[in-house]
Amino acid sequence: MSEHDDHFKPRGTIAILAIFVITIIILWGSVYLILLQRGATQ
Amino acid sequence: MSSSSPKLQIDPYERGWMYFSLGLLAAFAIAITVAGLAMGIQLPGFEQRVDPRTVDTDPNSPWSKPGLREVVPGKEYDAYILAQIWRYSVSEQPAQKELEVPLGATVTFYITSKDVQHGFLLQNTNLNVQVVPGQVAKLTYTFNQAGRYDFICHEYCGTGHAAMFATVVVK
Amino acid sequence: MSATLPNYTHSNSEKRFIGLHLFIGILALAIGSLFGPLQAFEHAGLDLYPYLKPLFQSYYQGLTLHGVLNALVWTTFFITGFLTLTVTHGLERPLRYPKLNAVGFWVMVVGLITTAIPLLLNEASVLYTFYAPMKAHWAFYLGLTLVVVGSWIEGYGFFFTYAAWRKDNPGVRSPFMAFASVITMLMWQIATLGVAIEILTMLLPWSLGLLEGVDPQLARTYFWFTGHPLVYFWLLPAYISWYGMLPKQVGGKLFSDSLARLAFWLFLVLSVPLGFHHQYVDPGVPTAWKYIHAILTYSVFFPSMLTAFTVVASLENGGRQNGGKGLLGWIRALPWGNPSVTAQLLAGILFFFGGISGLANASYNVNLVLHNTAWVPGHFHLTVGSAVTLSFMGISFWLIPYLTGKKLWQPRWANIQVWLWFIGMLIFSNAMHVVGLLGAPRRTPLGLAPYVPEEWSGHLLRVGIGGAILFVSVYLYVVIVAVTAFSKKQTASASEQVEIPVAEAMQDPTLTPVWLDRWTPWVVGALALIALAYGPQLYEQIINISLTSPGFRVW
Repeated sequence: MSEHDDHFKPRGTIAILAIFVITIIILWGSVYLILLQRGATQ
Repeated sequence: MSSSSPKLQIDPYERGWMYFSLGLLAAFAIAITVAGLAMGIQLPGFEQRVDPRTVDTDPNSPWSKPGLREVVPGKEYDAYILAQIWRYSVSEQPAQKELEVPLGATVTFYITSKDVQHGFLLQNTNLNVQVVPGQVAKLTYTFNQAGRYDFICHEYCGTGHAAMFATVVVK
Repeated sequence: MSATLPNYTHSNSEKRFIGLHLFIGILALAIGSLFGPLQAFEHAGLDLYPYLKPLFQSYYQGLTLHGVLNALVWTTFFITGFLTLTVTHGLERPLRYPKLNAVGFWVMVVGLITTAIPLLLNEASVLYTFYAPMKAHWAFYLGLTLVVVGSWIEGYGFFFTYAAWRKDNPGVRSPFMAFASVITMLMWQIATLGVAIEILTMLLPWSLGLLEGVDPQLARTYFWFTGHPLVYFWLLPAYISWYGMLPKQVGGKLFSDSLARLAFWLFLVLSVPLGFHHQYVDPGVPTAWKYIHAILTYSVFFPSMLTAFTVVASLENGGRQNGGKGLLGWIRALPWGNPSVTAQLLAGILFFFGGISGLANASYNVNLVLHNTAWVPGHFHLTVGSAVTLSFMGISFWLIPYLTGKKLWQPRWANIQVWLWFIGMLIFSNAMHVVGLLGAPRRTPLGLAPYVPEEWSGHLLRVGIGGAILFVSVYLYVVIVAVTAFSKKQTASASEQVEIPVAEAMQDPTLTPVWLDRWTPWVVGALALIALAYGPQLYEQIINISLTSPGFRVW
C-alpha cells in the first residue's frame, strides 16, 4: 500500500518554497558580495 | 506480522525539493571555499598561546611594547595590540588611540587580551576576531584606501565596553 | 497495533504539574521581557536605565536578565512542561515515575532561584553566555547547573515512560509526538554535557575559590558544544507542534510521517557536532576544524529544509480541504481566526528569514561580516524569539485552556497580540540586521558609544519602534493567558473543553520503515559523529590546558 490517502500534488508548497529559495539566494548573495568587497584577511 | 520493513515513500515533489536543497547547500559551500582559497578571505586560526598574566609585563612579550613595527619600510607592518579593560593599547603611550600607516601598507595585526575577552572589528574590512586572553588573534589587511578606520570592541567586557575603540589612520 | 490517534485523559494532578511548568516559564518571560524594550529604547537614544536604579544597575544587568530569563528559563520550563504532555498523551499512559519528574521539576525551580538571586543583586552581570574570565558569583553557576540537571531528570522520566511503552507494545511504531519528544530530550542530554563540564570542572570551582585560573578558550569550546544544540532543544518542540498538531488545527493531515521522523533523527545526529560555527573567529581553534564544522552545519540545515516542505504541504492540504483554490489561494482558507494557528503560521514566516540569516552566519568566512554585530540578535529574535517563542505562545492558547478547563480569553485580542509580535519583530529584526551589516556591534549600549556614525541613527530608531511594539505584544500576551488561567468567568462548559490537537498522517504510520523507529544505530551514529567532529580538538585543547586566567569583576 503506497498511495497517500488524500493524494494531492503540493503545487502551492513548491510555489512558496520557490519564493523562499529566491529570497535565500538574494539575501545570502548580498552578504557574500559584501564579504568579497571587504577584501582579503591574509 | 510482516518480516520485511516497508520502504520509505517520498512524494516526488518532496524528493525533488530534497535534491534541490542539497544542491543549493553545495553551491554555497563552493562559494565560501572559493572566497577562502582564491580570494584570501580566511578566518583566523590558531596562532599561539601566551600567558595573560605576564603578557604586558614580560620584556620578551611583544605586547609589553604594543604598537606598530615596520617589517618592510612603508609597505609591511606588524601591529601588536593589547586589549584590556576598557581600551586598546596601540602604542607605548597609554593615551594614544590612533595607529598611523601609509596608504597601501599591509598590516598584520596580533591581538591579545590581558584580562577578559574582548572583540575586534575593523570597520569596512573583514577583520573580525574574538580576543581571548591566553590566545593570539592574527589577521592581515592591506589599506588601499585612505581614511580613518575605527576598530571597536564587540564583546561585552564590562562597564566601559561601549567606549572601547581605536583608529587606524591611513594617509 | 493501532493506527488510531492517541486519546488520553490527563488527570488533574498531571495537568497541574504541566501547568506549573508553564506558569514559571511565562513568569520568566514576563520579567525578562521588561529589559528587551529598555535595550531597544537605549539604542534609539532613550536610556531609561538610570531611572531603574537602585533596582537594576545597568544595561548589562538588564541584558543578562533578558537573556537568561527569556532564552534559558522561559524556554526550558515551557519545553519540559509541553513534552510532559506530548509524551504522556502520545503514549496514552502516565509518567512511569511521576515522583522522578517532580523531583526534576523542583530541582529546576531551586536552580532558578539560586541563579536568580545573584542576577538580581548584580553579582552575575555576565550575559547568558557567561564568558570566562568574567567571574560571576558561584551561586549563578550552581543555579544554572541545577536547572540543567533538573531537566535531565525530567528527561529520564520520559525515557523510562517510553521504555515501558515499548515493552508493552512490541513492534508498534512509536507514536510521533512521543517519539519526537524523546529524541528532543536525548539530544538535550548529550548536548548539555559540554556546558556541564565547563561549569563543573572550571567555572564553579573557580568561582568558589578552589581554582586559581581557567582556560577561556577551552571554556568557550565547552560552552558552544552545548550552545548550538541548545537552539534545537528550543526548536524541536515547536516542530513537534508544527508536524504533530498544526496540520490538525488547520483541517489537514501530516504530509509525511516518515519524513517527519527522519528529520528528527537527523537532528539527533547533526545538532551537536558543529559548535565551532559559533567560534569561527576564535583565535584558539584551527581553521581546518572550523571548515569541517561549517560543512556539518550546512548538513543540519537540511532537516529544516525538509521540515519546511512537509509542514507547508500539510498546511496546503488543510487549506485545500477547507475549500481553498488556486496556487496560493488556499493560504486564505487557513483558519486565520484561530490565534493558535495564526501564531504558528506567523512564526513560520519569521523563521524563513531567521533561517536565512542563520545560514549566512554559518557560512564560514561570511561570518566575518556578521560576527558579534547587531545582525546576530536580529537573527536570533527571528528564531528563538519568533519561531520558538511565538509558536509556544500559540500552543499555550489551547494548552492553557486544556490544562485549566477554561476558555481562551478574548481570542480576537490574542490574534491581535500575535500580529503585533509579527509586525514588531519584522521592524526590530530587520533594523538590527541592517545596522549590523553597517558595522554596529551587539551587546553594546549604542547610545553611549562614541563611534556611532549618523548613518546608523535611522535604523536604531526603528529598533526602538520595533521594541515598543513587541513590548505591547508580550504584555498583552501575559494578560490574556493570566485571565484565561485564573478568571472564574473563563470556565469552559463540557462541550467547550479543549482537546489536544493531534494530526493524522496521510500515510498509515504502520507503513513507516522500521529503520526510522530503531534507536541503536542512530544513537551510535550521533555519538560517533560527535567523537569525530569534536574529539581531536577537545583533546588538543585539554592536553594543552592553561588555567592562566584569574577572575575579573568588570561591572
